[in-house]
Amino acid sequence: MAQPRGEVLQGTLDLIVLKTLEALGPLHGYGIAVRIQQVSADLLKLNQGTLYPALLRLEQRGWISSKWGVSENNRKAKFYSLTRSGRKQLLAETESWERMAALMTRLLGRAEGV
Amino acid sequence: MRGLRIFASRLLGLFGKKRRDSELEAELSAHIEALTEENMRRGMSERDARHSARREFGGLEQAKELYREQRGLPFFETLAQDLSYALRMLVRSPGFTAVTVLTLALGIGANTSLFSLINSVLLANLPVGHPEQLVVIKYTDARAQEAEDDFSYPMYEAIRDKNIVFSNVLTRAGLNFNAGYDGQSERAVGELVSGNYFETLGVQPFLGRLIGPEDDRQPGASPVAVLSYVYWQRRFGSDPSVVGRDFILNNHPIRIIGITPPQFYGTEMARNPDIRVPMMMTTVFRPVPANRMQSARHRWITVLARLKPDISRARAQASLDILYHQVLAAELQELGSSVSAHDKEQTLLSRIQLDPGNQGFAHLRGEMERPLLLMFGVTGIVLLVACANLANLLLARNAKRKQEISVRLAIGAGRRRLIRQWLTESLLLSLIGGFAGIIVAYWAKTALLDFLPANYSANLHAPMDVRVLGFALVASLVTGLLFGLAPALQLSRTKVSFVLRHQAPSIASSEKLFSLRSALIFLQVALSLPLLIGAGLFLHSLRNLRGVDTGFVKENVFLATLNPAMNGYPQERIKSLYDDVLARVRTLPSVRAASLTTSSVISGSWDQEGVKVEGYRPGPDENMSPNAAVISPGYFETLGIPFVEGRDFTEQDTAGRPKVVIINETMAHYFFGKKDPLGKKIGTSDDPKAPPDMEIIGVVKDAKYVHLWESPRRHFYTAMGQEPHLFDMTLQVRTSGDPEEIGGLVRAQVHDLDTNLPLYATTTLQVQIDNSLTQERLLTWLSSLFGLLATLLASLGLSGVVAFSVARRTREIGIRMALGAQPSDILRSVVSRMSVLVTLGIVVGLGAALELSRLLGSMLYEVKAVDPLAFVGASLLLGIVAAIAAYWPARHATQIDPVVALRHE
Repeated sequence: MAQPRGEVLQGTLDLIVLKTLEALGPLHGYGIAVRIQQVSADLLKLNQGTLYPALLRLEQRGWISSKWGVSENNRKAKFYSLTRSGRKQLLAETESWERMAALMTRLLGRAEGV
Repeated sequence: MRGLRIFASRLLGLFGKKRRDSELEAELSAHIEALTEENMRRGMSERDARHSARREFGGLEQAKELYREQRGLPFFETLAQDLSYALRMLVRSPGFTAVTVLTLALGIGANTSLFSLINSVLLANLPVGHPEQLVVIKYTDARAQEAEDDFSYPMYEAIRDKNIVFSNVLTRAGLNFNAGYDGQSERAVGELVSGNYFETLGVQPFLGRLIGPEDDRQPGASPVAVLSYVYWQRRFGSDPSVVGRDFILNNHPIRIIGITPPQFYGTEMARNPDIRVPMMMTTVFRPVPANRMQSARHRWITVLARLKPDISRARAQASLDILYHQVLAAELQELGSSVSAHDKEQTLLSRIQLDPGNQGFAHLRGEMERPLLLMFGVTGIVLLVACANLANLLLARNAKRKQEISVRLAIGAGRRRLIRQWLTESLLLSLIGGFAGIIVAYWAKTALLDFLPANYSANLHAPMDVRVLGFALVASLVTGLLFGLAPALQLSRTKVSFVLRHQAPSIASSEKLFSLRSALIFLQVALSLPLLIGAGLFLHSLRNLRGVDTGFVKENVFLATLNPAMNGYPQERIKSLYDDVLARVRTLPSVRAASLTTSSVISGSWDQEGVKVEGYRPGPDENMSPNAAVISPGYFETLGIPFVEGRDFTEQDTAGRPKVVIINETMAHYFFGKKDPLGKKIGTSDDPKAPPDMEIIGVVKDAKYVHLWESPRRHFYTAMGQEPHLFDMTLQVRTSGDPEEIGGLVRAQVHDLDTNLPLYATTTLQVQIDNSLTQERLLTWLSSLFGLLATLLASLGLSGVVAFSVARRTREIGIRMALGAQPSDILRSVVSRMSVLVTLGIVVGLGAALELSRLLGSMLYEVKAVDPLAFVGASLLLGIVAAIAAYWPARHATQIDPVVALRHE
């Protein structure tokens, strides 16, 4: 499924969602969306609707679990939380992301230096 | 592991759709509500807040769709959707569905039935352990083109005992028994088998025990027999207590020791022995010649061996060849000067050849391989024609669906998705057709097996096993893709604007001559014609064979064989019994002539005997073995073979009298040229020093002896009264009425002479000749059937295309008629395009048929490569059928009312 330009890459979105849940604990979809918007300071253009297929995908992989509950303003909402394997996955992905980022930095830095 | 988990979760996602959808709905609307509230908190009006929330959220339906795709298994869901849609389409047009399924059922059924035969005849192994290790031992001969498989018993012993490449070597020979039990005697098919026969094949007894090496040590010492399962069932009612009891074979009490398993039939599919006895019992059951087991000159057994596990066939062949030549050289040494140096040299040129033995001796395979593969090819072409036909049908239907397609494309359906849906539809059709085809195939192969002679089909069940069903499945899928792909691709190229602009073109401008539909019509014609011509060639060949001058009168002759030698008659009694039978039969009403012979014409068996001819010196490799038969007086009268000169045998030509012989015209010309052969002498003695001793007393006209298609053969006849040893003979009775009716009377006469003497192979000469043409008749029938089927399909396709084109051009035709065009003009304009296509198809088809005709050459009798009858006849037939097929719907065009037509659409 090709992602339209300007949107968040699938893998990145996964990582962001996992990190958000790690930081804030169980959260509903709206909460996750708001948090992402806050953190990214609107640098990321997220179509909030695409969050839900991503959540489902993560749930299918067993990285997060979901439960119906009641939100802060007394609405019925589905709460997502990180599972143990999700925590492991987050660690692994963070590491690989950092490695990749370091590599890119080095690469681009040197290129600029020439 | 994770993949499995995801799959399971997605699989679960297929269920509880409603609940999951409403949950998703609730979750998403909660999200939007929250966004709206947030916006309102920032001071927007409720309307603006909701609007803005929607914008931030993005496409709601898109998100839902993405979510649903992520939730379930889109492949299966789409498949289920497509299938249900396809089913609805099929149910909605039952006529189309019926025609399609019927076409497919015939096409796939024909292919599958042929494949089931091929599966059994060409692919199936012997029902024994590790058949792939078996090899058939043969030898090539300097004289014969094909390898022979008959060996002498001493040669077998040498191979068995001295080889280093086989784990076991078995031998067998066929013979027939007169089997008596409970006072009833009948002929049974028998086999002499070596003591290691069952051990080599790895066969376990069904009951009792099988023949083992201990039963095959001393000549005549082990009167035991093993019965086949089928024979035990038929003759002994599956009574297990017969094991251990005696029955009578050729007047000898023989102990039944065991029963072979049901699926075991031996080493050759076309032969089905009822009774097997140890090889060493040969001295009892085939006492003449007495030295059969010791003589290197009598080749009468066939040999099958099992390779040692790590030995290849090539290596075994090389190794065995050395041994074979050692034995041959020793044999020649022993014969000494009685064999000429030239003959010795020729003998030593012989080489061992090992053939794969996984199918045993596979004579059936040899006979049926070519016709089966040929017919398989033919059915393949029929299926191709059917595919072309169906593709055209789908194309015609597509035209009607263009509107639907345009709308679907306009609202955003993907073309890939549409192609996939149409392919699902055609695959569904082809699978239904394939299923119906399996039923057709079952019926067709049963009919085919019934058509074959009984000894062929005895072990040939052609079961619809996994391989056959797998074939049907693959054939269905390939067919579905073949006929579905082109229409689907074409349909997907439909332009979105097409329907939105206007519904259909009123003028047939888009009908090009070289469109896909035209190409398909052309293809069908070009493929059908060679099939029709092939059928014509076979038909012509069969007619030639039927009309062949046999040299004898085939009508009104009853045939039966009897073998008193099997009942233990001594020679003198055999002779007098034969005389008595003849005398009694000749007195029966409506009998015009009766006689006996050792070889009945066109029966599939014949004898040849080496001769010496007075005053004739043969060349070094000259074939001096004409066909030979021992006959009673009256033979030529019974068959209606005229004498050229001389006289027939009489009752006075007996053992004590001067030896006499009758020869045919070809033999007379061959040995005596223009000289008169009467009074000359020929001899058949093995002794090279013995002078020819039989005086030629008559010359008869040539006849066909073995096959109807043989060229004239040399043939000589000797007198029954002068033959020292008589065995089985065929009684031939010419009647003035129906030969079938005389059978009962003849049987009663023989029964009267000896109640224990069975009369077997009873038939008529006409039937015997028909049976000799089984393969030709089968090929003719099948090729005609398939040729006509292909033509029918092609013409149906043609009809459909013309009808469709007329329907499309209704408005145009209306305008033209309003402007004064005559019906004949309209007809011409509709049909002319088709006639170009059909003519083109016929021309190309003729070219292909020419190749086919060359390929068939050796299977045809006196039919030229370019047989005018077949080529012209088939082309005419196809042309006429095509013309009718095109004219029928075109007629409608001329009946169009301009007023109605202009209002059309």
